[in-house]
Formats: sequence, structure tokens, C-alpha cells
Amino acid sequence: MSSFLPILRGIHGVWLREIMRATRDKGQLLGGVSRPLIWLLILGVGLNPYFRGEVFGEVRLVLPYSYLQFLFPAVIVLNIMYTSIQFAVSVIWDREFGFLREILVSPMPRWAVLLGKVLGGATAATGHGTLVLILARFADVTLTAPQVAQAIAYMFALSFALTCFGVVLAGKVRSFEGFGVFSNTVILPLYFASSSVFPLDPSLTRTQLVASYPEWLIMLIYANPITYAVDALRGILINFNQFPPHIGFGLVGIGMIGFFLWALRSFGR
Amino acid sequence: MIPAAGFPNRQGLHFTRASPRPYICGLSLRPPEEYGRGEVNQTNCQEADFAGRSISLLIQPHETAERAGPAVRVEHLSLKYGGQVALDDVSLSVGRGSSFALLGPNGAGKTSLISVLATLRDADKGLVEVAGHDVCRASRQVRLSIGMVFQDPSLDDRLSAEENLDFHGRVYGIPGRLRAEAIDRVLDLVELTGWREAIVRSFSGGMKRRLEIARALMHKPQILFLDEPTVGLDAQTRARIWAYLNRQRRERGLTLLTTTHYIEEVEDADRICIIDKGRIIAEGTPGQLKRELGQSFLHVVAATPADHAALLAAYPDSHAVSPEALAIPAGDEDFVAGFLARFGNRLREMRFEGPTLEGVFLSLTGRVLRDRTDGEREAQRNAGRRAGRR
Ligand SMILES: Nc1ncnc2c1ncn2[C@@H]1O[C@H](COP(=O)(O)OP(=O)(O)OP(=O)(O)O)[C@@H](O)[C@H]1O
Ligand SMILES: [Mg+2]
Repeated sequence: MSSFLPILRGIHGVWLREIMRATRDKGQLLGGVSRPLIWLLILGVGLNPYFRGEVFGEVRLVLPYSYLQFLFPAVIVLNIMYTSIQFAVSVIWDREFGFLREILVSPMPRWAVLLGKVLGGATAATGHGTLVLILARFADVTLTAPQVAQAIAYMFALSFALTCFGVVLAGKVRSFEGFGVFSNTVILPLYFASSSVFPLDPSLTRTQLVASYPEWLIMLIYANPITYAVDALRGILINFNQFPPHIGFGLVGIGMIGFFLWALRSFGR
Repeated sequence: MIPAAGFPNRQGLHFTRASPRPYICGLSLRPPEEYGRGEVNQTNCQEADFAGRSISLLIQPHETAERAGPAVRVEHLSLKYGGQVALDDVSLSVGRGSSFALLGPNGAGKTSLISVLATLRDADKGLVEVAGHDVCRASRQVRLSIGMVFQDPSLDDRLSAEENLDFHGRVYGIPGRLRAEAIDRVLDLVELTGWREAIVRSFSGGMKRRLEIARALMHKPQILFLDEPTVGLDAQTRARIWAYLNRQRRERGLTLLTTTHYIEEVEDADRICIIDKGRIIAEGTPGQLKRELGQSFLHVVAATPADHAALLAAYPDSHAVSPEALAIPAGDEDFVAGFLARFGNRLREMRFEGPTLEGVFLSLTGRVLRDRTDGEREAQRNAGRRAGRR
């Protein structure tokens, strides 16, 4: 169709604007760098010895990995979650400061505008995830080129789904101030209840698990989609899976489509 | 019938006797069937003296000739926000290549009307066609043919001027080379070439406004909606932008639909539509409106509150234009003479105003049009106070 090229040009334009804004926003960039450093340097290094159960003289390896290695993929996901969900601020900003109207009177169809925006947000979030990959050597994670490529592709898909989720949230929230509080109450619980900072030992049966953790926590972890998202990335980066990896990939795929459609419904109203 | 022999190209001429005076429609090589009939009016014709007789030539540019009919057609449009009526049975028609002004006080529904025309809001009832397309069914076609200057700011002030324009060009699907040319052209028009790479946040209010107007012109729209476009612009810039817009109108049939609070800009419009509380209360050329509805007013300020009350009692049809000033409808010179005989020594200030659009507005709505910017009004009020104290 002859009108396809202009739409592509428009999507590129919208994408480009998001990228320019993300790279110029020093605060966001600073957060993207300092967050993984704090998590890995302080929490990761601090808890590293305890993870091996060496403390009380008896050495028992919970997993064949150090805590830093175990935490590393989760920190990537955390960085992606923050950047993606904070992307909602960009949507609220457009709405509050009138720029959205400039986009909505343009001949671009609404889905294309949203696609451009989400691709832009997902690119920025993937960038922040990739920043963490640079710290891989420091966390004793050795990566091959195909692993890196696979990880980036997966991170992009995850970012896309989470960015769409951010747009959905933006539709529900009226103000910036509200959103700051809101995003923290969404991100952190999702993150902590996802087997990100402590492992569910896969060798244990469910009854044994319940013996070491309260039932509700296990339920929460099983019900949390981020659990599977983190798990799939662990599979790619350190070859460790607590669950079948296709659950993670499947959920991310469903999230991409489902949240995009949901976001489309709320976008531009 | 006009002899067509005088024209070199007979094929492109098309005669119509729809109006009392003969019109020649279309100076083009296109066959006459492609032109719409019945849309000849004062606004899209240019008069020319031909063979000793005054006739009108319809200059209809090629691109707009593709779709016949008016640029904007609105019939029985109604719009509600929740339960509140914003537009109530509005009907109007804007000829191609004409300049149409919407005049109305705050909250009249001007912005609401423009939002419907620009496909940003769906009407509750009624038919709306822009550039020959229905705004609901063919919104993409409509959006391709319109340009928009919003009342409220709509720039990304964290990007530079050039980046804002480049974004606009991309979103409208303009390819790279043309985009760069268009950016140069419009930046030059609004004299912001030197600010190309500056971040918009550092711009003054007027500069931002100019950039928005430049942006709306970038994709060469057929119809331009301007919602109070020149608020905050100095007289020089305003004149320059209007000169450019009017040239575009002549050269390529650009249609302008403006809401403005500057009466002097409305005077230049082909047609004016006065809107109040969501209803159209008058429509016509500026001359027509002044002739038919215009009234002379005597603007007076009484010397004391007692005199003020006396004035109100004597002229119950007068309008309060400010807490102190009254506008009294003045019939003719005799009225003024009679008035002066009665109240001449009980006034502090008096001014006679012949039929103006402001007067039209005042007699229709009983209110003065808030046509001055707040700063200006403030300054006037202060000046008045100072004068009063002395
Ligand atoms: N988003 C909205 N929600 C509810 N009511 C609205 C909304 N926008 C406008 N209105 C109402 O609709 C009416 C018309 O508003 P509109 O903005 O069209 O006026 P206007 O003629 O543009 O006024 P102004 O000269 O102040 O720009 C007003 O009474 C206003 O309160
Ligand atoms: Mg308005």
C-alpha cells in the first residue's frame, strides 16, 4: 500500500523522539547506572558468603552458583522494569503538556503512534538492561557472543511487554506525583516476590519448600509472572532454570501482545 | 453571457449563471466537469475588470479542485461534555480559499468546535465534513489536509526548534530532503532561523507561538485551523504572519479558520461567525454585520455613583462594560445632543463609537469582547485610576 511508507516514517519519528528524550534525561541515565551498581556491589557482595551456607561452619551449596551470579539476571530485569514502567511518565507528560494533541491530529493511525512510542521506550529499557551486562565479568558471569545476542533479544521483548504495561498504568493515573508513588508500589513487590533475590531450591519438593518458606510466599512467587521472566533470563545467562524456560518466553510473548492491545484501548483518550 | 472569445483557452472555462452577475469559473486545463458547481461566492472569487464589465473570476487551484464543495461543512452539530452543552445545533460552511473567523467570549465553544473539525472529538449529533471528507468515517483524509495551531502550548519544550519541526515532518510522512527544505522555509517565515538548534524551553512565549504556526504550515495543509493564534505576538510579527497566510490563500487556495480576540484581525476576514454559549448568533461578512447589526454606542463614565445610577435609570438598555463604564446605544447625532443636554455636566469621560464589530458583539451578547490581552487591560485600568486620582 502506498500509505505504508509514510506510516513507517512516522513510527521512526516517534521512536526517535523517545530515544532523544531518554538519552538527554540525565536523571534517568544516572538511575540506570547506579541501580545495578548498588544492587550488585552492596547487596550482591554483602550476601555472597551467606548464600553458600558457610556461616555456621557447615558448607552446603544451595545452588551451584555464587549469589552474585544468581542475582545478576534479576538485577537486569529490575533495571528493565524501572525504565519500562517509568516510561508511563513520558505518556503522562505528553498528555498533560499538550503534545499528545499534536500527535493525535497527525495523519498517523493511533496504533502506529503507540507502536513508535513503545518501541522507543523498549529500546531505552533494553539499553539500561544492556548496561548491566557490562558488569558481567565483575559478577563472575562469562558470556559468549550468542548468549549476549539472545539475552538482548529477550530483554527487548520483555521491555516491550513492560512498556506497554506502563502505558496501561499511565491511562489510570492522572498526575506525575501520583505516579511516582504508584510505580514503586508496583515495581518493588513484583520484583521481591519473584524469586529474584532468593532461590527456590529446585531440588526440593513442594512439601519441603513449604517447610522452609511460608505457604503464602510460595503462592505469591508462583503467581508472579516476573518469576518466570527472571527465570528465563537466568537460563540464557547462567544456564540455571528453576522452571521450564518456555513458560517465561510464552508469558513475555503473551504480555507483548496482550498489553499492547490493552494499551491501545486506553491510549489517546 | 460573456463572450469567451477573449480567452486563449476555451476548454478550461466554465460559465455559470447561478448568481446575478456572470462568473467565470476555473482557469485551468481541466475539463469543466471536474469543477464543482454552485460554490461560487464572494469569498472564493477575485474580481477583475474584463472588457469594460466588472466580472468575477473564480481562481480555483488544482489540488483543491479535486474535491468540490466547501472546505468545511457543519450541519446541526451538537456536542456535550457530560451533561453540559458545549455546542448546540451549529451549522456553518466555509468556502475554499476563504478566511473565516470565529468570534466569541470565553467558554463560547470555539475550541470545542475546532476540536470536532480536527477529528479530536466526536460530535454527539450532526454532520461534519472537512475538505470534502466526513470527520468520523475518513478521519485520516481529514487529518492529512488540515494544519492546526492549538490554543494551548503543544511543543515538546525539551527538544530544539528543529527537532520539533523534524518530528512533525516525519509524522506527516514527509521524506528527508523535502523535510529539510520545509524546515528551512517555515523557520525563515517566522524568523527563527537563528534559533534552529536552541531548546524550545529557552524560548519566549511569542517565539513558541511562532514556532507552532510554522509547524502547522510545514506539510502545506489545505485548511488551517488557528485557535487564538496571535495572542502574545507583537504587531509586527502578527502582520508578517497574516501577510504570509493571505499570500498562501491567494496562491494555493489555503483556507483559514481562525478564532481570535483581536478585532482588527477579524475585520480582514471574509466571513465572521459570532458564537455564544454554543450557538451561532450571527454570521456574515464584516460589512454586512456592521450594516445590519451595528449600532453606535456612547461610552460614558459617570462623575459620581449617584450619576451612574441616574444614567442606568434613564437608559435601561445600556450595557455595563466595566464596573464604572456604561455603553449606551446611540441612535444618531440628535441622540447625542439630547444626551449631552441632560447629562453633559455629570460625566467624567465620554467617547462616541460608530458601528464596529465590537459594537455588534456588544448588542448581541450584552458583553464586551475580551479582546485585549490581560496585560493591556491592566495597564489601561491603572492608567484610568491614575487619571482619576489627579
Ligand atoms: N474537557 C472538557 N470537559 C468538560 N467541559 C469542557 C471541556 N472543555 C470545554 N468544556 C466546556 O465547554 C464550554 C466551551 O469551551 P471551549 O473551550 O470550547 O470555549 P472557547 O470558546 O474556546 O473559550 P476560550 O475563549 O476561553 O478559549 C465551556 O463551558 C467549558 O467549560
Ligand atoms: Mg478556546
